[in-house]
Amino acid sequence: MNSLRKEFTTLSITLIAVGIALNLALGTVVLRLGLPLYLDSIGTVLVGALVGPWAGAATGFLSNLVWTLTGLFPQAFAWAGVAAIIGALAGVFARSGWFNSVGKAALAGIITGVLSAILSAPIATYVFGGVVGAGTDALVAAFRAAGLDALLSNVAQGTFSDPLDKLVTFVVVWSLLLALPAREKARFGNLPVSAGRPLAGKTRRPAGKAAKKTAKKAAKKSTRRR
Amino acid sequence: MRGGSIYIERSSGLHRLHPLTKVALTALCFASAAALPGLPWLLALFVGLLLPLAIWGRLTGAFLKACLLVVGPFVLSLTIIQGFFSGGETVLFNLGRFVFTQEGLLAGLTFAARLLVALGGTLLLMQSTPQPHLMQALTERGFPPRIAYVVLTAIQIFPSFQDRAQVIMDAQQARGLELQSGLLNRARLLLPMVGPLILGSVMDVSERAMALEARAFSSPARKTSLNTLADSLLQRALRWLLALAAAALLLWRLWSALQ
Repeated sequence: MNSLRKEFTTLSITLIAVGIALNLALGTVVLRLGLPLYLDSIGTVLVGALVGPWAGAATGFLSNLVWTLTGLFPQAFAWAGVAAIIGALAGVFARSGWFNSVGKAALAGIITGVLSAILSAPIATYVFGGVVGAGTDALVAAFRAAGLDALLSNVAQGTFSDPLDKLVTFVVVWSLLLALPAREKARFGNLPVSAGRPLAGKTRRPAGKAAKKTAKKAAKKSTRRR
Repeated sequence: MRGGSIYIERSSGLHRLHPLTKVALTALCFASAAALPGLPWLLALFVGLLLPLAIWGRLTGAFLKACLLVVGPFVLSLTIIQGFFSGGETVLFNLGRFVFTQEGLLAGLTFAARLLVALGGTLLLMQSTPQPHLMQALTERGFPPRIAYVVLTAIQIFPSFQDRAQVIMDAQQARGLELQSGLLNRARLLLPMVGPLILGSVMDVSERAMALEARAFSSPARKTSLNTLADSLLQRALRWLLALAAAALLLWRLWSALQ
């Protein structure tokens, strides 16, 4: 319960709202670029990575609730649980340092994608009769034609598109974390201190103990000069 | 797809109902979608309950259009997938070795009708209720106000994020980013397109949080609202009746499934 309370400060609650709005708004960019991806969970993964698993889960769950409430995509609420798990996973991966390198972030994305494909399939099969009402239903039809049963076809369709989608999402978030000032990252406190170091280390002050030492030395020097 | 709401302002009885009464109606729609046995029942509910409500709310055209937009793609996919792959005796036509059966068509249409009833109920609720009123009604009944805040803020700022994304894309294009290139090239454009928007908005967060704190966001005191939601004894009774009907439908379905 303590970790739960720690993740819901005024600051992080504001970030969650921004994360949800990002999830919804980025659809415009994907549409304009004409990419065959959803990229509807960049905000969720970002909040999970910055604040932690609970906040990530809240962002995912509430994003789907908001999709339903806007009336633009009312069926979204059926997948709120899956979105929550994606956010929670992002938080756990970030906490254990998987956002430190692009390779690990990509792997975390693929793992999350496979899991979300497996979790989404029963929803598509039993709630929506085996379809999602989008272009990917052609894939489901192809797998059914190849002889797979209803549930397996949906799992297969998911594993075809979800891992790639989540891989791109996680790599985008990884590169955003590199670009985000260390001050902003430290404010939320989920990421280990070393996150984003490979590139940040060259341009910014080293973090932690070493930073304190150099700061002290600099302070001494300046007093001596006086 | 602009803006964060499908609410349509009209002066009607449906609009004046207490938000929770409409939520109870939507709950009944969900229970019926799950519990009603077949296509005729589902369509009867749509024509006999949802459509008259839409007419009462003076939303007929908008409601039917929204239903078509949301459920239409499902009808198409479900007809094809269930028609070809759910089996059955009565063959309507065949495509190579795949047969399209009447039983499959019926199963697909029944599933689509279930979605029509459930999603139609949701759409009607959101077309006749402003989101802030819905959240206010929920928080007055003990829903956490922080969650209500998150939901409403997200809905409010998302259109402005869309505008900002548009501006960034235009600016990057003006600098020479090529949008009409190959797939891999366009994938590489993703970062310069979304990066500025996301980084900028994350860095605005602390300012927003400070503004909230200055307005007693985390104060445990009870907050009052300028807007009062009209409620009546009749509506209270109606809500209980609707909730009971929904529960009864679900129980009846469970009972008949166990038989």
